[in-house]
Amino acid sequence: MTDVFGLISLCFIPGMITIIIGHGMWKRVAVYDSFIEGAKTGIETAITILPFIIAIFIGIEAMVSSGAMEYLENFLGPVLEKLGIPKELTSLILLRPVSGSGSLALVERIVTAYGADSFLGNAASVMVGSCETVFYVIAVYFGATAVKKIRHSLLAGLIGYGAGVMASVWILKVSMKG
Amino acid sequence: MMNYIWAGMLITGIAFATYRGVLSAFSESLMESCTDGVYFVIGLAGIMAVWSGLMNIAKDSGLIDAFARLVRPVIRFLFPKERNRETIAMILMSFSANIFGAGNSATIFALKSMVMLDEENGRSPVASDAMCMFLAVNMSMIQIVPVTIVKIRSDAGSEDPGSIIIPSILAGFASMIVSIAVCKFYERKQA
Repeated sequence: MTDVFGLISLCFIPGMITIIIGHGMWKRVAVYDSFIEGAKTGIETAITILPFIIAIFIGIEAMVSSGAMEYLENFLGPVLEKLGIPKELTSLILLRPVSGSGSLALVERIVTAYGADSFLGNAASVMVGSCETVFYVIAVYFGATAVKKIRHSLLAGLIGYGAGVMASVWILKVSMKG
Repeated sequence: MMNYIWAGMLITGIAFATYRGVLSAFSESLMESCTDGVYFVIGLAGIMAVWSGLMNIAKDSGLIDAFARLVRPVIRFLFPKERNRETIAMILMSFSANIFGAGNSATIFALKSMVMLDEENGRSPVASDAMCMFLAVNMSMIQIVPVTIVKIRSDAGSEDPGSIIIPSILAGFASMIVSIAVCKFYERKQA
């Protein structure tokens, strides 16, 4: 099953390109000119989001390199443990919504320290595999728009994230028993 | 809201760094992270140009229209007011790129979708229902094969590195259903 999915993932980009260009040629679209036209807007979007990316990058860096994140972990650990979430996963839970690469590095550490097939190793993997970087998504995606009031989007993302974390732990607890 | 969150992050950081006496290292990594941000966007700009170019071809050839017609029922539920085929196609592209793990491409489609939703919203400063729903789904949208994690696990000597795939999909679904429910709840409350 993994192989089939792996193959689809592998073919996604070349497949898309073939279909789009093939269909374009068939419909007699001036594919080169059309591509250039679209690419221009792509570069524009990249420049538009740059300030937002920088803002979120320094915001996250401020929390991490000052040690504020660590403090938050120590504070939240016991609370999460009451909900049945092992305290070893606290830092991952806090880091995941703000940093994709950071949380991957952390999973690597957890997996190496506790073993890849241990409960903690599995839980860490599933948690990262089932969630997205919520804050990053909100900051960058709204950054491309004129929106100032983000309404319930952050809340929906965070509650969903919490549900994902709880589900990760529960699903593994049930499946690893058998 | 973003104002408070961002200011909170920076001020908390500075306060902590001062308290722990690590101000100089703190300032240095702060400045470094700005450069990282620029590199990140430059890397993104290339792929962004490629996909925007390709999508423009697909728009001109009518491929996008055909694609949008195919999946109308799902879109009707999530985005009841959405009528623009191009926007629908872009949203779908972003979802499918996400599922198949084309990370950066997914970001680009998502950004484009947001820009289009923004225009439909009249570039209003208040986010539309569709924007919130789109983000909520996007944030809990997961990769079918989390390639990087599977790789990390096999490097660490896992007996079955792919064993986390099904649990990840299930947990991702749980997260998505809850996010969608929160959005639907707020949409009703406003209406």
